[in-house]
Amino acid sequence: MSAEAWIGVALLGGIGSIARFLLDGAVSSRGSWSFPFGTLAVNASGALVLGLVTGFALSGEALVLAGTATIGSYTTFSTWMLETHRLGEDGQSRGAALNVIVSLIVGFGAAVLGKWLGGVL
Amino acid sequence: MQNALKLTTYFGERSRVGGRLLADELLDMHARREVRASILFRGVQGFGAKHRKRSDRLLTLSEDLPLVSVAIDTAERIEELAEEIGTIGYEGLISLERAHLLGAGAATADLACDGRLREAAKLTVFLGRHERANDTPAFVAACQILHDHGVAGATVLLGVDGTMHGQRKRARFFARNADVPLMVIAVGDARRIEDALGRLRELLAEPLFTLELVRVCKRDGALLEHPGDHPAPGARDRLKQKLTVIVSEAARHDNRSVYLELVKRLRRAKAAGATSMRGIWGFHGAHPPHGDRLLALRRHVPVVTETIDSPERIAELFPIIDELTHDSGLVTSEFVPASSALHEALSL
Repeated sequence: MSAEAWIGVALLGGIGSIARFLLDGAVSSRGSWSFPFGTLAVNASGALVLGLVTGFALSGEALVLAGTATIGSYTTFSTWMLETHRLGEDGQSRGAALNVIVSLIVGFGAAVLGKWLGGVL
Repeated sequence: MQNALKLTTYFGERSRVGGRLLADELLDMHARREVRASILFRGVQGFGAKHRKRSDRLLTLSEDLPLVSVAIDTAERIEELAEEIGTIGYEGLISLERAHLLGAGAATADLACDGRLREAAKLTVFLGRHERANDTPAFVAACQILHDHGVAGATVLLGVDGTMHGQRKRARFFARNADVPLMVIAVGDARRIEDALGRLRELLAEPLFTLELVRVCKRDGALLEHPGDHPAPGARDRLKQKLTVIVSEAARHDNRSVYLELVKRLRRAKAAGATSMRGIWGFHGAHPPHGDRLLALRRHVPVVTETIDSPERIAELFPIIDELTHDSGLVTSEFVPASSALHEALSL
């Protein structure tokens, strides 16, 4: 991988995580619900965009930059898991189970939709 | 015994004044003035004047948790401190409460002479985080004494910064942090608290307490006094009322966490503000003192939630609190001169 690509990974990775922070913050601070909709919005939109990117049939450094750097830093598995644990800790076992199932279904659906859209466009 | 004042400020981790973090500015000020005791607490959820939600339950919202700083000293010294806080452009909520400051010397607080023994008292014990007494952590020993004397409940809140006997004790990431202050807040029958005070004095090397009178509104689900019936010490329209709700983190009402639901509903009802702080140890009623258990998913520590508003609004908000504390919890009421504009608080 070229030096430019490494620098690109660092920059796009930073931008991806800032984008996540802004979207998560905007969604989470909106309502008074305890379900982590902010993280769901981030992960679902990330899955959609990654689906799109692979649908465009990018390869090599372009795929690394778009996929690993940008979407990789944007979406978050660890927050999803941490917030599921928090829901369990608060005694909301149904909320915790829902957080896992809904994220899986919505995320998988978004990735499939993105890939299809990417192929059509 | 000294007539002291307790100054409490409510703000956020990211609040800044003149380019510096407000928390640093305030605690530096406490240290420079050698305030007798001051503690900075980090809350776990809350909202304030701008109604922005803060919560440690969601990762992104945990970067700006609520902070509460408490400073205790003689009335004169606290008034000077409050005036200085006014000069730095602090815009959050500030409250001043009267309290008796007790050190090692005086025998008892002698609440009886006020003819107020029917009232409940709130005792605050200031300790170092790793201070030990009777071969156990001092806060554990203190809770045991309070429990043995039949005091209704006690909660241990851990500080992250503060001054003890005028000396700055700040928590650092790589340090033992043995001296960082913590606070044991006990509420109960005034006479039982006075009895426990004697034992606590024997236990602690450098005892530092404050004693205040409070009204107990609810205990273990039983309504003892509606906060609207709490007689105000002055003109009601010039005072604010503070309700403190202490429940176990594990407490449930309709399958929902009581302390999370409480702040959520208070915010929805447009209360002026609320802050929750999680204790590390405590007891209420007949249960022996306890903290978290290893390998238990649910947490069993007490959570203290404070809300300050006008007496009229408190009366309107009380049904929310009453419903959520249907089976458990301790609700106390105090009148406090409080204001978001400092000069108003000082003139009260």
